[in-house]
Amino acid sequence: MIASDNTHLAAPGFASSRAAKIFMLAARIVLGAVFVYAAYVKLRDPWELFAMSINSYEVLPLAMAETAAHVIPWVELALGLMVISGIWLRISGTILSLVLLTFFTLMVRAYAKGMQINCGCFGPGEAISWKTLLRDGSMAAAAIAMTCLAFLQRRKTAA
Amino acid sequence: MKLCALLLAAFIPCLGQPLPADTNKAFGNPSAPVRLDVFSDFECPACRNFHVNMLPQIERDYGPTGKLYIVHHEFPLNIPAHKLSREVAAYATAAARIGKYEAVADALFQKQPQWYTENPNPIKFWDVIAGVLTPAEQKKVLALAKDPSVLAEVQSDVDLGNRLRVDSTPSFFLTHGMQRFSLPYQGLTYPLFRSMVDNMK
Repeated sequence: MIASDNTHLAAPGFASSRAAKIFMLAARIVLGAVFVYAAYVKLRDPWELFAMSINSYEVLPLAMAETAAHVIPWVELALGLMVISGIWLRISGTILSLVLLTFFTLMVRAYAKGMQINCGCFGPGEAISWKTLLRDGSMAAAAIAMTCLAFLQRRKTAA
Repeated sequence: MKLCALLLAAFIPCLGQPLPADTNKAFGNPSAPVRLDVFSDFECPACRNFHVNMLPQIERDYGPTGKLYIVHHEFPLNIPAHKLSREVAAYATAAARIGKYEAVADALFQKQPQWYTENPNPIKFWDVIAGVLTPAEQKKVLALAKDPSVLAEVQSDVDLGNRLRVDSTPSFFLTHGMQRFSLPYQGLTYPLFRSMVDNMK
């Protein structure tokens, strides 16, 4: 279900423009769907596969990688559903942006170090490349823009 | 029905026919519930690491249980640093024909730094192979290594790897029932492997 926030319609400026609203809706649907799909793939497969992908980045000790492999898919699922439905959008958008920025930073680090590893974004089998960096970078940028707009709309409504 | 099967195979690539297995390059119980297919290149240092460090642990822990069937496949990489790979794979396959694959593969991986292409003063890989064979076995392997059927067997392993989108070595596929999982080598640890196999009932 897509929630509409009619209280923002009267707010002036770009944040309440038609273009901003269309962007917000598209970003919420696309980012939310991507997160739900990423969670589904990880929860469908044995958790050890995702733990191996996390371990391949060489940033966490194995025990923490195992914990992260259990926790991250459920966080992705919750964030995806919250963003799609528009519930607590400023909070869910902020967390989603931070999560995407963290993933993107780790992928850039691995790519810069020449680590030939899988991205782990949607299960195993997708090596980190400029294409995966472009995709995740675009998603992070869209998430930040969506979150900023959500805050701007709130501020203008409050004013 | 046939159309449904084709559509299913096209849209769910992890579901499919069982992979072919050369029983001479396999270890364990053929009717085991879990199967591990390993694609290796004898000149690949990461393959050496797997064969020398993790494979003995797997064989020790799962050999007696009958839960895991391990099948080896040749996947010689076509790169300048591995110019001996295909030839060595043919010799190993020839050794498999006389039931000596494990001994030859173990020796080749153990002594890889001494014979592989990037060693400036390499020993001959044949000397490593001959070291674990009797003179009679050496004659057989020398003859078989040039046999077109052995060369075709190596190529069929490469073709199988290409169909499975193997693009690096070692590559692993763990099959349980109708499900097949590609395991990432980087990040693969024995505790995670063991947990995954043990959770497959």
